[in-house]
Amino acid sequence: MVDLSLQVFGATFQNPILLASGTCGYGQEYSGVIDVDALGGIVTKAVTPKRRRGNLPTRITETPAGMINSIGLANVGLEGFKREKLPWIQENLRSAQVLVNVAGWTVEDFVGVVEGLNEEVGFLGYEINVSCPNVKGGTLFGTDEKALAVLVKALRESTSRPLIIKLTPNVPDIGVFAEICEANGADGLSTINTFPGMVIDVDTRRAVIGNETGGVSGPAILPMGVYATRVAATRVDLPVIGIGGVRNAKDALQYLLAGASLIQIGTAMFVDPFTAPEVVAGISEFCEKHGVGEISELIGALEA
Amino acid sequence: MMVGYGSEGYAVPFLPRPNSVAATIDGSVGLLIRIFGEGSRRLAQLDAGDSVLLLGPLGVGFDLGQAPRKVLCVAGGVGLAPFILLPRWAREALPDAEVHVLYGERDAAAVFDAGKLRELTGIDAEIWTEDGSLGRKGRITDGLELGDIDLVLACGPTPMLKAVRELALDSGTACQLAVEEHMACGMGTCIGCIVETVDPTTGEQRYARACIEGPVFRAEQLPW
Ligand SMILES: Cc1cc2nc3c(=O)[nH]c(=O)nc-3n(C[C@H](O)[C@H](O)[C@H](O)COP(=O)(O)OP(=O)(O)OC[C@H]3O[C@@H](n4cnc5c(N)ncnc54)[C@H](O)[C@@H]3O)c2cc1C
Ligand SMILES: Cc1cc2nc3c(=O)[nH]c(=O)nc-3n(C[C@H](O)[C@H](O)[C@H](O)COP(=O)(O)O)c2cc1C
Repeated sequence: MVDLSLQVFGATFQNPILLASGTCGYGQEYSGVIDVDALGGIVTKAVTPKRRRGNLPTRITETPAGMINSIGLANVGLEGFKREKLPWIQENLRSAQVLVNVAGWTVEDFVGVVEGLNEEVGFLGYEINVSCPNVKGGTLFGTDEKALAVLVKALRESTSRPLIIKLTPNVPDIGVFAEICEANGADGLSTINTFPGMVIDVDTRRAVIGNETGGVSGPAILPMGVYATRVAATRVDLPVIGIGGVRNAKDALQYLLAGASLIQIGTAMFVDPFTAPEVVAGISEFCEKHGVGEISELIGALEA
Repeated sequence: MMVGYGSEGYAVPFLPRPNSVAATIDGSVGLLIRIFGEGSRRLAQLDAGDSVLLLGPLGVGFDLGQAPRKVLCVAGGVGLAPFILLPRWAREALPDAEVHVLYGERDAAAVFDAGKLRELTGIDAEIWTEDGSLGRKGRITDGLELGDIDLVLACGPTPMLKAVRELALDSGTACQLAVEEHMACGMGTCIGCIVETVDPTTGEQRYARACIEGPVFRAEQLPW
């Protein structure tokens, strides 16, 4: 096995594969099936200031080569996360890096969660979710240039930990939003969150999803994710985490070549929970076959 | 358990489907499948040697822990699946207990082979059809009396579960219901398959994940 470790955000990732927010719970859920601590890391379900029930059912449905979800940021809240979830992470994720996904509706919400966690140990940094399509105002900060600048600046002042902004693809030019994050002190970017979409049951003439619409994820969004990653990586000097539709090593390698330093896998884990370890093994095989000595040689190595 | 096809080749269906373990025979797992759409059609078309991805057993199943003497299983449609395994399991766990199965379908054509059912369960199920084309006529819950039953278990369409729940709560009979929800992961990570539940002691309501906190809930836990 080729050494796939790399340095990003001032920390060592033993390989570039992370589990995406909202698709791996808090790590513990998958621990009976795969060795979560052997992955590059995990990103927790979004943490909001208060516990949230989330949206009405039906929350998920299948789409061609993907799915729609409208979970509505159901989560245990800041205090619940510290009390119920963080201890397991601290105890069990010693080698895998952990990013805490943070969501909110106001600058104070985001800053409150970050400040509430700053003193805690057991995780590396924050992935700031300004891109959730499933709650009212969920993409407010991700689609408004001025609001995003204010938020990132405030967050930068509130923590010295790695600050990664997770962007929505639902903007005319994601590069503009990447530049705003960089100018205001972010340490990295995650591209992308889901695309808004809907499915209609023609027999009942109703939307299948209880909230009518949801976010589309899975293999269907792979090319859009690779593209957004390419745009972001060429426009800023920050590490980019590529997300969207990864289900095998080839997909992950596309993200690396497009400029991603790390890659997250979400929906494919629902289809097959062994996907993430298999992608790690597949990248290692690729490196061996092509004489790649270090994973960093692949990052942004797209030929013109 | 979740039954799927892996993520290579943009498998159709894309997501795995939850299925009950209907039988365990010599180290193999048996499923009872009714063809609805893509997932069940593909399962039904599998040949010997084909592979599927099975993840399980997952979640909370029926619980015979209180040593009931008389158990009634109420099965609607493909909700029969868990009650194929249960009678044999119950006989091993509770040699003195009596187990009855009521099984309802729309019409005779939909009814699972009664002979096969006897062979698998070791008992005769009481069959009901809505149109009376086989067995007793009407809905399974129509004449349901829980009199001397200690535990009633049900799996099937939600209206049937609701009717069983009402009867059980009225007669004070212990009752467990297997609910159906759309699921993606089956492991509690996506929070997609939620059902409204209530804590019978505090009255506090919250969403529970059917995949790992269910799919079997006690009647008092469901605020229907
Ligand atoms: C805990 C549990 C155990 C189950 N056990 C069995 C079993 O033993 N045998 C069996 O045949 N089926 C079982 N099911 C149902 C099974 O998971 C599938 O829903 C069913 O096979 C239809 O899938 P499909 O891909 O064929 O149809 P699809 O193409 O997915 O759907 C056909 C139609 O059914 C609707 N539908 C699909 N899934 C659900 C759902 N979960 N709830 C409500 N509506 C839905 C769709 O919206 C669509 O209208 C179980 C479900 C659960 C939750
Ligand atoms: C069920 C579900 C829940 C999600 N919850 C969150 C969340 O809480 N926060 C977040 O930033 N992204 C969330 N996402 C988006 C994923 O992290 C990821 O960006 C997206 O699904 C695309 O990757 P994929 O195609 O590999 O799934 C969720 C996605 C799914 C499918």
